[in-house]
Amino acid sequence: MNEDRRQILEMLAAGKITAGEAERLIAALESAPATNVGEHSGSVAGITVKTRAKYLRVLVEADEAMTGMKGPTTVNVRVPMQLLRAGVRLASLIPSQAHEKLDEALSRHGVPLTLSQIKPENLEELIDHLEDLTVDVDTNDEGKTKVRVFCE
Amino acid sequence: MIPSFAVIGIQTPEWHMPNLWIPLFLLWIPVILLSPLIFLVLVAIAIAGRTNIWRLIAIFWNILASLRGTDVRVTAEGNHVLVCIL
Repeated sequence: MNEDRRQILEMLAAGKITAGEAERLIAALESAPATNVGEHSGSVAGITVKTRAKYLRVLVEADEAMTGMKGPTTVNVRVPMQLLRAGVRLASLIPSQAHEKLDEALSRHGVPLTLSQIKPENLEELIDHLEDLTVDVDTNDEGKTKVRVFCE
Repeated sequence: MIPSFAVIGIQTPEWHMPNLWIPLFLLWIPVILLSPLIFLVLVAIAIAGRTNIWRLIAIFWNILASLRGTDVRVTAEGNHVLVCIL
């Protein structure tokens, strides 16, 4: 089984695409082997199949020299995107009278952010765009550290 | 869908705890029994925060329902911690 076909079947198994979409993608693969099937999207006869990432992953690997702790340190976190969305909605419950104090405290700590300017719809948009985010940090200065942030 | 199980595992170089499976669905029993009290607490929070009670309930329910799939594994100094919500 080739890689693209396996990827489509995995997307189908994960519920990212429907059986019909999987069928169209496989048919497109057979007719045009060069069709690009991305991690979260595919294109068949002009129909773009955009699937949503379900989880935000944060992977950190650091050795002793970097952390000062004995032995390697690893962090492996998987957070559902839905939880991020719900958390963002929770922020909308902050009373307006608390905004000023929060803004003041944030700017005192070097974060010049005005909370009242952040609207729930903007945050939703931000979460949606997180799906395209990938951060890879690899340092070898003093100790070896790897940080990966991505959506899957 | 709300989570049904939480798995918690802690391992240290000297001590190894088998993974603890916590049946979260059993928590529904005390939650239902305490629901009038929980509702009153939520009403008090809603009044204090000057927000809509139903919006507050919806947000908390959303958070609860989206917890499923959360997985945190940390290893440091030979200690391992696992928290997984299923």
